[in-house]
Amino acid sequence: MSMIKFIIRRLIAMIPVLFGTLTLVFVLSRLMPGDPILAYLPEGKVDPVLYAQMRHNLGFDLPIYVQYFRYIGDLFVGNWGYSISINKGQDVWSLIMQRLPRTVDIAIFSMLIAGFLGIKTGVISAVHRNKPKDTILRGLALIGVAIPIFFMGMLLQFTIGYLVPIFPTTGFKTYEYGNPEYVTGFRIIDAFLSGEFYMIGDYLYHLVLPVACLSFIILAGITRQSRSSMLEVLEQDYVRTARAKGCKEKDVINTHARKNSLIPTITVIGLSFAGLLSGAVLTETTFGLVGIGELLIASIRDVDYWVMNALVFIITIMFVSINLVTDIIYAMLDPRIVY
Amino acid sequence: MKQEEVYEEEFELKQEKNVISAVFSWFISNIKFLLVPGSRVEELTQREIEYERVRSKRKFIRRFKSFLTITGIVLIFVIASFAVLAPWISPGTFLEANGVYYNQWGPPSEINPLGQTSFGRDVLTRLIWGARSSLTIALPAISLSVIFGVMIGIISAYYGGWVDSIIMRIMDIFLAFPGLILAMVFIAIWGQEIQFIMLAWGILGIPYYSRLIRGNVLQARKLPYIEAARVSGAGSWRIMFKHIMPNVIQPIIISFTFDIGGIILSLAGLAFLGFSDPRMIEWGNDIAEARGQLYNAPWASLWPGFIILLTVLGFMLVGDGLRDALDPKLKNL
Repeated sequence: MSMIKFIIRRLIAMIPVLFGTLTLVFVLSRLMPGDPILAYLPEGKVDPVLYAQMRHNLGFDLPIYVQYFRYIGDLFVGNWGYSISINKGQDVWSLIMQRLPRTVDIAIFSMLIAGFLGIKTGVISAVHRNKPKDTILRGLALIGVAIPIFFMGMLLQFTIGYLVPIFPTTGFKTYEYGNPEYVTGFRIIDAFLSGEFYMIGDYLYHLVLPVACLSFIILAGITRQSRSSMLEVLEQDYVRTARAKGCKEKDVINTHARKNSLIPTITVIGLSFAGLLSGAVLTETTFGLVGIGELLIASIRDVDYWVMNALVFIITIMFVSINLVTDIIYAMLDPRIVY
Repeated sequence: MKQEEVYEEEFELKQEKNVISAVFSWFISNIKFLLVPGSRVEELTQREIEYERVRSKRKFIRRFKSFLTITGIVLIFVIASFAVLAPWISPGTFLEANGVYYNQWGPPSEINPLGQTSFGRDVLTRLIWGARSSLTIALPAISLSVIFGVMIGIISAYYGGWVDSIIMRIMDIFLAFPGLILAMVFIAIWGQEIQFIMLAWGILGIPYYSRLIRGNVLQARKLPYIEAARVSGAGSWRIMFKHIMPNVIQPIIISFTFDIGGIILSLAGLAFLGFSDPRMIEWGNDIAEARGQLYNAPWASLWPGFIILLTVLGFMLVGDGLRDALDPKLKNL
């Protein structure tokens, strides 16, 4: 019961943060140099009459606080306007819904691989401390944390994509295949439902390099955190007691020690997932994937208020929800935590 | 003059004595210390206290001196010397590194040891000159973040109540965003110049440090010695910055070194996307320009990436070494 009260309390606490973020973006976007009205006018010299009329149509001549309230109201209602940066004239909702499933796909695949593998390698690294296994894993983790994502992406593209041409380097489908029928927007589910299974294989084949790149880097961070917290747990008294009572070593690690080391690791996993969902901008640019990261940069570059506002809205909600889920997982893992 | 002659005479006299008689006389003079357990010779205790002070630092230095940390320090030193001594050690000047020449994308040869990048510029020259921009932006930005973040964190956690709530809500708002996007927005607003990039990253680091220090300050606030300081009449500011701060600063020091590496990576990312100052030589910019020619001229994009890796690796290694040396729990390392 207290869990439900906790969730409701956290959802209510999310609202000021959401409003604060939206206000911040409103202020910042109005401060940016660049005029979105100009995108609606024809090229060449600006006709002042047309400009004033466009300005009135778009609602920019109202006083600033009225604009602010209309902006918040529009976002919550779902009236997200029309885009001017990527596909001119397309409404923002469908634009985002076209691109979001790609980002979500990459995020889910990378987090599945990196999450499970990361905790496991951290535990192995901590248990075999200072032995060769540990040294190699630590070295790889250190490189993974220090390497720039685009450099690693380009290395992979060059070695596995070009010198030894196994995997395709850019894009998420071969051009001729087209798209499956639109049911949910997620390519795998749509292809499965419409029976075109070759698309699934092709899609996964194209996703290997980006997912490998991203999951290596996230794996590095999770391994370091998992190793550090596992080392701390292995020094505790209850582990010593378990060993003294005659527990087999693998039972000591798996049954007693591992769960207790998970809490800081889950924080890192949650933060990485939130970062991925908000668009792994650099990976998408390197591999030419069509996701919301690229959309965000394009909207900042072209000062597209509508796309920016909608994306910030979505990203903030995702971030806060992931924090909430992380806190709930804490409570599930550690029975001492009672909200 | 006369005193020195007297000392020399005494010294010669003492050398003639036997070793055994020297040891014997030491025993006689310290007999109380040797036979009576628990007695202390004043002079020796003083020395012991000084040794202890040095020894605790020596243990830290010994733990710090592992092979990997030394490698990290050497790497940082190399990159810093690239940045400082660039006019003297690079094969070309700054103008030559930004010039426009005839052949582009040439392979590594005698003149261009690492090859040519766009417009025929030498990769090695651009690598060495590029160290300046990364380090110049990273260090002031992180100093800004740390100084203001620590101040805001200590003040908000010490006073508690509604001050704490409001400040932490504002920090939450900044943290609810990926930093790269906010940095891009700031740079778009203020302009693509080097001082604004520094300011943007400085501002973005403040919420992280204030959160980091807030937990420790909340714990340290309840300690008895703080109460004692308050009872003795210390004012709030004195307690905050003279008593609490030296004790909570330790995770900040570790995070500081990791964060320099993080900022250099983020700078490279921003430059890769095209948001950096176009007047300066930046490694990420080089990678972005050379991306199209990845198959013909891999050296142009892979070498800048490799040196970013080395720089960040150096800072991460030093950060790891510091963390292992300062962590009281890992004593049996």
